[in-house]
Amino acid sequence: MMQNRPLTPLLALVLAAALAVTLFPVFWVVMTSLKPPTDWNAAPAIWVPSEPTLANFRTLFDPSALEAYGLSGVSQPATPAILGSLLAAVLATLLSIAIGLASAIGLSRYAKLSKWTPLVILSGRMFPPAAIAVPFVIMFSAVNLIDSYAGLIAIYVAVTLPFSTWMLKSFVDDLPREIEQAAMLDGRSRLMAHLLVTIPLIKGGVFATTMFIFILNWSEFMFALVLSYTSVTTIPVQLAKYVTATAGTLYGVQAALAVLAMLPLILAGYAIQGHLARGMTFGAVKR
Amino acid sequence: MKDLQTTIPAVLRLDGLEKRFGAAEAVSDLSLELPAGSMTVLLGAAGAGKTTTLKMIAGLEPPDAGRIEIAGLDLTEAEPKDRNVAMIFDNLALYPNLTGYGNIAYPLRVARQAPEVVDRKVRQLAQVLKIGHVLERLPKTMSGGERQRVALGRALVRDPALFLLDEPLSSLDAMLRIELRAELRRLQREAGHSFFLATPDFSEALAVADTVVLLRAGRVVQVDAPQRLYDYPADMEAARFVGAPQINLVPARFAAEGLELAGQRFACPGFRAPRAAAFTLGIRPEAISAVPAGTGMIDATVTDLEPLGHLIALSAATAAGEMRLTGPAERFAAHAEGDAIGLVFDGPALLAFDTATERLLTARP
Repeated sequence: MMQNRPLTPLLALVLAAALAVTLFPVFWVVMTSLKPPTDWNAAPAIWVPSEPTLANFRTLFDPSALEAYGLSGVSQPATPAILGSLLAAVLATLLSIAIGLASAIGLSRYAKLSKWTPLVILSGRMFPPAAIAVPFVIMFSAVNLIDSYAGLIAIYVAVTLPFSTWMLKSFVDDLPREIEQAAMLDGRSRLMAHLLVTIPLIKGGVFATTMFIFILNWSEFMFALVLSYTSVTTIPVQLAKYVTATAGTLYGVQAALAVLAMLPLILAGYAIQGHLARGMTFGAVKR
Repeated sequence: MKDLQTTIPAVLRLDGLEKRFGAAEAVSDLSLELPAGSMTVLLGAAGAGKTTTLKMIAGLEPPDAGRIEIAGLDLTEAEPKDRNVAMIFDNLALYPNLTGYGNIAYPLRVARQAPEVVDRKVRQLAQVLKIGHVLERLPKTMSGGERQRVALGRALVRDPALFLLDEPLSSLDAMLRIELRAELRRLQREAGHSFFLATPDFSEALAVADTVVLLRAGRVVQVDAPQRLYDYPADMEAARFVGAPQINLVPARFAAEGLELAGQRFACPGFRAPRAAAFTLGIRPEAISAVPAGTGMIDATVTDLEPLGHLIALSAATAAGEMRLTGPAERFAAHAEGDAIGLVFDGPALLAFDTATERLLTARP
């Protein structure tokens, strides 16, 4: 456990600097989302919007909302992208965690691991995504998974499974196996002992891993871009579409969508923050 | 002992049990029978295969070969829950998220017993184990002794055919360990439970066991009553492992007068000479007494005195090598380092070992 250290002036300065670096982009995005189009590109930069407006947010749902500022050319609302992102990220995260838990327990408790096992499991992550995106497009078009949520979810699960497996395995490793073995002797089957004893006892780790995997899926751009055409779209892909021929990049609208995209993460992080402190040490802390 | 084992049914029968971890042999060719209603102690140093043996019996480690029979049923392949055994782990493995009550009640709740039955059994047991005050507390707020008792309660509440106890007292301090091992013994005797307790501590084994199974490098070295294990250890290593201070082992020869140690011949009444001219003589520290110089069987010089409370351990240099002897504090108190003394051996207590094979040569009565 971290101890509360007295806040010395030097420590305060370092913390303030770190906070500024971390929070400045968030501040800038939030401010930009409230700026009218005239403020977006102003030089010198305008920090606080001259006339705060919700027009950028309205544009997300009503593409014509910016016409009041003389901007047109936004073709589609962001609603399908938001729903698409929610669907793909939530389902892919749940699947990745479920499969990851099963393989983590299997690897930790029942497998004879060689020194190559971590390498084999993580090898899928050793290529740059761009290198495997094209082969995936070819394979997926052969089996009709292009431009489908099933295809996108499948690839998200495949890409995040090494992370969820390896992170969850570290939490299972830290739990003395005798606790679930005691449950097996106390009358639980092997499966029920793992479901009712092992998994609840690594709850904090499961929450932290879920959060991490969800962030990966929520912000994924490359696969969503190359595997989607019309019926599938996600927030990161939609962000890239806010460019018009006449007005260039619509920074305010992009910022508005980015602010909306941050909300679920902030809410989820707040809800599970009690579990994160220990979970985010990736199981390094012994009890 | 043989007669007892044939008349009392075996609660556990192991036949040719084997387990390897990679290239390492954890347990090899382990065959054993445990009579029901007795306390059998599995004694062995760290890494001897005690935990592996218990976990195979519990069904938590699959054996590579062999057969496990519990209460007359072949359960070699059965799931742990179907074996009717309880186990107390060396780390106790209490459910950290459940209170003392929840831990003890767990097996009953899994078995879907009625809440009032569960409550009666848990409270009754808590009274026997003197843990009524920790029933509402989580394990992390309990003392080592309280946790140990809760773990015991979780095992006892089920009334299984066989209890496996893996170094259950190892986490406790010495005082509590001695108190609790007497209590364990009493509980086992009163209820007629079958206990199979693993420990690396020979004094614990001698104190509680009906039968001691001495395990070394995954193999059974000796199965005997505690006193016989002490009096007639199967080999030199067993003799060294059981007893403190350690047994003295010195090269000796058979002589017409009796014994020959380092060229000195002397009579040794009661010594049961082996059928060998040369051997290794095993002398327990308490089988040597100190006498005035020149009057003993061999001469010695005191090199060290170590008070053990009611006893003093005395180290003495002799022509046959260093020897340690123990005796009542008041008798040794007069000695000082450098004193010349004589040593007298208690003939009937001496053991002879084959120097090459290290096996015991002395015939067992």
